[in-house]
Amino acid sequence: MFKDLLKLELFPTTWCPGCGIGQIMIQLAMVMDELGLDHTNSTVISGVGCTGRLAGYFNVDGVYTLHGRTLPVAEAVKLVNPGLKVIVASGDGDLASIGGNHLLHAARRNPDLTVLCNENQVYALTGGQAGPTTPRDTSTTSTPAGAPYDPVNLQNVMKSGAKYFYARTTVYHQVHLRKCIKEAIAWPGFAFVDIVCHCIENNGRRLGFNSAYEMLQHFRKTYKRAPDDAETLEPLEIGIVRKG
Amino acid sequence: MKRLVQGNEAIFLGALKAGASFFAGYPISPSSEILILAAQHAARDPGFKFIQSEDELAAANAIIGASLAGAKSFTATSGPGFTLMQEAIGYAHEVEVPTVFVDLQRVGPATGMPTMPAQQDIVQTNYGSSGDYYPLAFYPNSVEECYRYAVAAFDAAEESLSPVILLGDAFVGHLNEVVDLDAIEVEVVPRSRPPLGTGKRFFTGLAHDEQGNPSTADAVVYKDWLAKVKARHEKVAARYSDFEFKGNTSSDTLLISCGIVSRVIAPLASQFAMFRPIRIFPMLGDELREHAAGYQRIVVIEANDGQYACLVERQLKREVIRVPLLGGRINLDLAKKGLSEKLGSEVA
Repeated sequence: MFKDLLKLELFPTTWCPGCGIGQIMIQLAMVMDELGLDHTNSTVISGVGCTGRLAGYFNVDGVYTLHGRTLPVAEAVKLVNPGLKVIVASGDGDLASIGGNHLLHAARRNPDLTVLCNENQVYALTGGQAGPTTPRDTSTTSTPAGAPYDPVNLQNVMKSGAKYFYARTTVYHQVHLRKCIKEAIAWPGFAFVDIVCHCIENNGRRLGFNSAYEMLQHFRKTYKRAPDDAETLEPLEIGIVRKG
Repeated sequence: MKRLVQGNEAIFLGALKAGASFFAGYPISPSSEILILAAQHAARDPGFKFIQSEDELAAANAIIGASLAGAKSFTATSGPGFTLMQEAIGYAHEVEVPTVFVDLQRVGPATGMPTMPAQQDIVQTNYGSSGDYYPLAFYPNSVEECYRYAVAAFDAAEESLSPVILLGDAFVGHLNEVVDLDAIEVEVVPRSRPPLGTGKRFFTGLAHDEQGNPSTADAVVYKDWLAKVKARHEKVAARYSDFEFKGNTSSDTLLISCGIVSRVIAPLASQFAMFRPIRIFPMLGDELREHAAGYQRIVVIEANDGQYACLVERQLKREVIRVPLLGGRINLDLAKKGLSEKLGSEVA
């Protein structure tokens, strides 16, 4: 049972009601259960921020690293113990901003890591400031007149390498999310899953959404499946691009 | 076999002797020889893992990950790189990760004088990261000691479950001396903690309870944890209360120095009493007080502007005379000149 992989005794989780991270956690647990991953053969490593708490809910050895430093820790763990399945779960601020240099170079070195990026497009835990993935013109607590810059293009960052695995999905598309996680874990190299996720409390309400449900419906309406043979995902497409 | 060995090489070989199997680092003078030796060793021995990191932040965090995964791990750096690593050092204290940071000091702040020796990371070693923590640090002054205390650093790390600092300076790191490393007897402490992939533990930089679960607003849990860690560090430190003392009954003055400065001023032992801390942190307390007791004047001569002197004053609760050797110029003539000025009489 996937529930055996979770520390249910610590529930309810620290996350706000309506938060999407729980979906990432549940889908990861389901995939791990399906693949026979447990405390003897896997570890979950997360960074700082809301998503940083994810590792602590798994019934495996987990590490909550410093802010932005998941990848150096994970890469070293994998190098020392190649038999261990190393799964990194962290936020977009952690992976793409404060940890951006590590993302660039870990991807280049291409260690066998699975990276799940909660792309909620905001610094949620610190109160809704703009992050590296915040769309241009979005109002946040640190960009009251709208975000002045375009967001980082994570797909292009990943595709700058000779080998890459980049998946984009959302927490609404749960079957697709699970498929992406599963394929990322099976990928023999650096696999990055960009999971568009809602944050109702520190982002959504400011954007005019009344509930997490409304945000999920927004994902349903705006994100479309990319063709299976797509070499590049268009901005509002979900799918997987890879080169081994 | 006796042969010519460099300080940096002795540090590397000491690490191997201690069982190190992982190195991550970022090139920086004057420590780069250690990184190169690690790369060469990894090319020969597939059991030894090496990462040349994108920056010192990555290197410091990689050795933490490697330690959690089961390897004895270390990095080597210098002043500015050591500053970047301070965040990870604090993290390793919070998470109780045994690992070793080698810091070969050069003149700072910032890029400063990259190839010139200094002792300007003394305070940084003890207080460089946020929060309260109780680092163990050793400062050898010879090639033989580089080897011996590299092993001791790994041992103390396992015993204290914490990052231990092996301090050096550009001169100690680049010192070449004839030694027989094989003849040096050392004790090697085994790994203290089962590696990742064997339990259901949570290693977190958040304050946490005994089970490792985050506890971020409970002062009692925090204070209990800090007291436990502090007691453990004090106990381990007591096992390594290493120093060198040469009394001098015809002098009323005690010179305190460490690292390369202690080598440079060694000829002054005929005129003064000498004290050299080797376990530089936690500060030697009783040892300092006992050996300083008979001397009217206490002088700290060091390659910085009084960093260790301040800490000695706090231990002895009396004023000490500072003789700084600055700008990477560390030699006996300057030491004599500084002493003559501060003591008010010619030091020959």
